[in-house]
Amino acid sequence: MPPRDFRSAEHLPNLRPDQQPASPDELPRQRNGVTPQMHGRYPDYNVLDEADHWDEVTRRTVFERVESTPSLRFFTREEAATLGIFCDLVMAQDREPKIPVLNMVDAKLFAGQLDGFRYAEMPDDRETWRRLAIGLDAAARQHGAGDFAGASGDVQMRVVDALAKGELHGEVWDEMPPSITWKVVSRAILSAFYSHPWAWNEIGFGGPAYPRGFARLGVGQRESWEGAPAFERDPVKDTEQRGDEGPARP
Amino acid sequence: MSRRHELRTLLRGALRPPENDSAFLLDVHRRAVPQERMARYDDSFSVDLLIVGAGAGGGTLAQRLARRGWKVVVLESGPFWDPDEDWVSDEAGSHRLYWTEPRVIGGTDPVELGKNNSGHGVGGSMVHYAGYCPRFHPSDFEVRTRDGVGEDWPISYYDLRPHYERLELELPVSGEYWPWGDPHRYPHTPHPIAGGADAARAGARQLGIEMRVGPVGITNGAFGNRPHCIYRGYCLQGCKVNAKASPLVTHIPDAIEHGAEIRADCMVTRVEIDESSGRVTGVRYIHDGTERFQRADAVAVAGYSIETPRLLLNSTSRRFPHGLANDNDQVGRCVMVQGAPQVSGRFPDEMRMYKAPPPEICSEQFYETDERRGFARGFAIQTVGPLPIEHAQHVLGHGHWGAALREYMRDYNHWYTLGILSELLPLPENRVTVAADFTDQNGVPVARMDYSQCENDRKNIAYAKQTLHNIFAAAGAQDVLVTERYAHLVGGCRMGSDPERSVVDADHRAWSVPNLFIADGSVMPTQGSANPALTIMALASRLAERLALKRTGGASATRRPRRLRRGPRPAPSPVDAG
Repeated sequence: MPPRDFRSAEHLPNLRPDQQPASPDELPRQRNGVTPQMHGRYPDYNVLDEADHWDEVTRRTVFERVESTPSLRFFTREEAATLGIFCDLVMAQDREPKIPVLNMVDAKLFAGQLDGFRYAEMPDDRETWRRLAIGLDAAARQHGAGDFAGASGDVQMRVVDALAKGELHGEVWDEMPPSITWKVVSRAILSAFYSHPWAWNEIGFGGPAYPRGFARLGVGQRESWEGAPAFERDPVKDTEQRGDEGPARP
Repeated sequence: MSRRHELRTLLRGALRPPENDSAFLLDVHRRAVPQERMARYDDSFSVDLLIVGAGAGGGTLAQRLARRGWKVVVLESGPFWDPDEDWVSDEAGSHRLYWTEPRVIGGTDPVELGKNNSGHGVGGSMVHYAGYCPRFHPSDFEVRTRDGVGEDWPISYYDLRPHYERLELELPVSGEYWPWGDPHRYPHTPHPIAGGADAARAGARQLGIEMRVGPVGITNGAFGNRPHCIYRGYCLQGCKVNAKASPLVTHIPDAIEHGAEIRADCMVTRVEIDESSGRVTGVRYIHDGTERFQRADAVAVAGYSIETPRLLLNSTSRRFPHGLANDNDQVGRCVMVQGAPQVSGRFPDEMRMYKAPPPEICSEQFYETDERRGFARGFAIQTVGPLPIEHAQHVLGHGHWGAALREYMRDYNHWYTLGILSELLPLPENRVTVAADFTDQNGVPVARMDYSQCENDRKNIAYAKQTLHNIFAAAGAQDVLVTERYAHLVGGCRMGSDPERSVVDADHRAWSVPNLFIADGSVMPTQGSANPALTIMALASRLAERLALKRTGGASATRRPRRLRRGPRPAPSPVDAG
């Protein structure tokens, strides 16, 4: 497999015939720190290495997300089984290590931490999530499955895709518009996933920046501590420089 | 070029604002506003002016009138922020900065509230605004006359201009010479811009679209005890540096120094009136779970476009059965938002758009009506700089989820984002009401906001989006992602010259209640394509001037404001105290 060149944009879904990306397994494995599923576009960059440069309050906030996975207190076990699969599909988390999206959503809902608005057609966000679980099962049954959790991967994908396009009908979905449901739940999922430092490692985000700030603002510039993307360096030389592989030469 | 302009250019960055020592009253060693010597008023003492809300309007009004010797109390529903302890350099952790109490949204094009446009706590939503501080254009005050849409203001641009100039010194605003609207300079030099903004500006230039750096309410260089910006990019999460302007650092310290009390964590639930005289007597508010009543000679409501109408509509009485000052069913009507679609462009080089303040460059070239475009009024183009959660929402808004979303997000560092502010028109059906069957934790009915666009609005947004596409194409972007959103809130209790069509007069006084004023963005009859913060402050500043003139019986009797002091007053020493 030839190395990808990220100067070109050929890997982006909009520019590919099927609108879907290539398998992220073509990327290197993360070597420093953790990314979700260990995809390593910035394989040697771990934002948590920079924590000494963050202010104390921010450090506490961010580390809490990594160090403690909140236990499920809002969702029932049945709801969690359905919604856990749903969250993983929305974020394409197909194996460990996973960011515990549903647990993070659960903690917010349990604490009643809502976003300050509710669509007139919709119930409270907490109720929306519960009805989503029922609605996913209903949609899976329309495809002949017993419920969402027990359906085949293909059926599950089709149900989520229909929800994202606002094309679910019947039962719950006649009372709760799928397009708005998608807005409400995806907002919570994305807020959880991209608040997690593992996701920041994956996308090469600089992370908290107080009190240090940023000094290199120009095109193609990065701070000394910011991560380089995977294929910017020669893999052979890189291995040698890192001194972590290969037999000693005669 | 006038002599005055030359002088201002020469003195750029060196002028101290007149009659506002806020930047010098802050502590060098911590970010919190010193409150040790703040005045405290008893609930039973009838203060000269009670202000509801300590945001752009309320904060500015309090500072101006405290300076003139008024006894002012500001009741703020949220906390008195300590940036060191309460704010984080983190997107999700900044949730508490927003208005998160329940509200209902409806209409054919509902407007999401919360973090998008609603603040909470001392400093209001300016605590988490990007920092753009453009003026309105002179045309904004007479759109009905000029363009046959919207509404004329009862005041003109030139009534606000001296206040714009004064506030630009107080914030202070930095930026390049501004050629649009009423051309003007800024007191601070423009900030450096990041690579992405440079690329976007180059793309725009190829299309003959001019973009300029600024105008941003962020100090360029130290300003009093406020340090220089560190370009960390978290403007929307509250500025932990104290470099970005919000009333918390630009007006509240000086208000406190001159005897105003900022009473935080006080949710006002009702404005009370005397049924026989029809005058306001004070407000009911809840603090620590207990209901209290603060007496006042006059009340200025500055709760912004949703909470201000909600408070008035919930303040019913025999005299005002449909809500205070709502004889003509005008309270809550013509609430407005700006159409704010965003377009992101992908570049071969890394842009890392999380660096530098999100507000960098701006164009007002499309601000005014151009009949060839097929709609009335126009839009502004600005940089946005979304952090990961915001950008993920942008990608999802374009229609990608799952593996495609993850792939786009892994590409985050190659993207740069421009946003639009489209002037959407005031429509009476777009309104704030109260939901009779839905109450908050205090048992007070919550607000419901209905919003629907008109044909002109849709044409404006579509044209603006296409313009951004063209800019990115010219800049050499390899891919683009588009998402729809709204920004800002104004209107809802507009000012006017006809009581049938407005809630307050040109002096912000409720038509039907002589000692009730509205001092926030809800008084705006139209919104232009400018971010509203500076104009809300300018309106409050003008209102303060009008109130002070009346109270002291005309210009000749105006009390001379206290002299500008150099630095904070020293704390009383033990010898003095003894």
